[in-house]
Amino acid sequence: MIFFVILVVLVFFAQIAEFFIPPLDWLYNAHVYIVPVIVFYGAMALPFPLMLGLTFFAGLLLDALTVQLVGPRVEISLGSSILLYAVLAGIMHGLRPLFVRGRWEVYAVMTGLGTSAIVLAQYLMISFRRGSVFFSREVWWQIGGPGLIAMLIAPIMFFALHWLARATGYPYLTTRDRFE
Amino acid sequence: MSRTSIIALLIFGAVLGYLLSFGPDSTRKFQASIYQLIAPFLTSGSGIQKQITSVRTGLKSLEELERDNTSLRVENRQLKATNQALRDVEHEVNRLRHALNYRERSIFKLVPAEIVTRDSSTWWRTVTINRGKEDGVESDMPVVTDEGLVGKTTTVSANISVVLLVSDENCKVAASVEGTREQGIVAGERVTGGLTPMLNLNFLSKQANLKPAQKAYTSGVGGVFPSGLLIGVVKDFRVRELDGQAKLTPGVDLSHLEDVFVVTGRK
Repeated sequence: MIFFVILVVLVFFAQIAEFFIPPLDWLYNAHVYIVPVIVFYGAMALPFPLMLGLTFFAGLLLDALTVQLVGPRVEISLGSSILLYAVLAGIMHGLRPLFVRGRWEVYAVMTGLGTSAIVLAQYLMISFRRGSVFFSREVWWQIGGPGLIAMLIAPIMFFALHWLARATGYPYLTTRDRFE
Repeated sequence: MSRTSIIALLIFGAVLGYLLSFGPDSTRKFQASIYQLIAPFLTSGSGIQKQITSVRTGLKSLEELERDNTSLRVENRQLKATNQALRDVEHEVNRLRHALNYRERSIFKLVPAEIVTRDSSTWWRTVTINRGKEDGVESDMPVVTDEGLVGKTTTVSANISVVLLVSDENCKVAASVEGTREQGIVAGERVTGGLTPMLNLNFLSKQANLKPAQKAYTSGVGGVFPSGLLIGVVKDFRVRELDGQAKLTPGVDLSHLEDVFVVTGRK
């Protein structure tokens, strides 16, 4: 439970930190997203009910802090990101056996794909609302860029969070023995 | 699936369904309360970011000094650091003097505000400012600098507000072009590849034939933005199937904003 609370706190501060990380102009203004990296780690490390709790918190923060309301129009309904996070995290939770065996590369690749999937889903939702969908090179980079960055930072996060889990005596990780 | 997981899933679904049923007003209130909750973190984060930038600039100067003269390195380091600090102060004084002058000569009632954070999402162009309801700021108020239009407020909490920049596709502004009778609607682009966003002035007549460097101002139609605020400068003009469209360079450098004013009314 302590580890779950730590992940929740990390998600909170990561969401605030994202406000201060400028987009990468050399990568078509792609943004750096840290929250999905933490959430997807939680999806693999936490038991199902706590995973749902973490995705709920992360999705709620994302919707509350980034979704724009212009006049009477809501572009992305409050709760959409929760659903999105829950579905992606649910898929990753299914890959837990690989994760428990210490296959960090699976986590890294899936985190990258999941991050891009979130940005893509947001793009599709606003595009349908605004009545036009188009895909240019810039759009693809702004969708794929965050995924690539997430993929690169995922191993570092993996080892840092893994260390944190062990340091807090998190019991769920010890099941790895059963797989080896 | 265990019984605990099923119960968790049911609770999750119920709360999610409740949230998805929120209308615009409830969503706005909820967003405002979350922003109010994290306002202290954003403000202190902004301060830390400024300090880090300042230190980084100072270190760069030290590297240059080291190259220039190694024997005077220590002395130069001290002098450079002092100069840097003074330059920061001078920059701040100039900036505030400039802002104060604009506030005094403006015909609008202006609430000065500082940019706390810039856009953190891919698809929306926003900034947050350190003024809110307690300062008289409300939703849909124009935000300007002495150089022109910046955008309008959307979500407003007690001490912090979100400003939708004029470069966002959703921020639509009625505009007129200087020296012509042309009127149109300015909107930002959904995706920008470079640092400087471009604006589109749509619904012009096909015969408009606008020339580069012509200026577009707010026309006052629509009620949100008062007339006469500079939006941008024409970069090029093209004729489309049904109308004419001009590309505008924003009048305000949106990527380096520091201070803005919220227009709360006329004097």
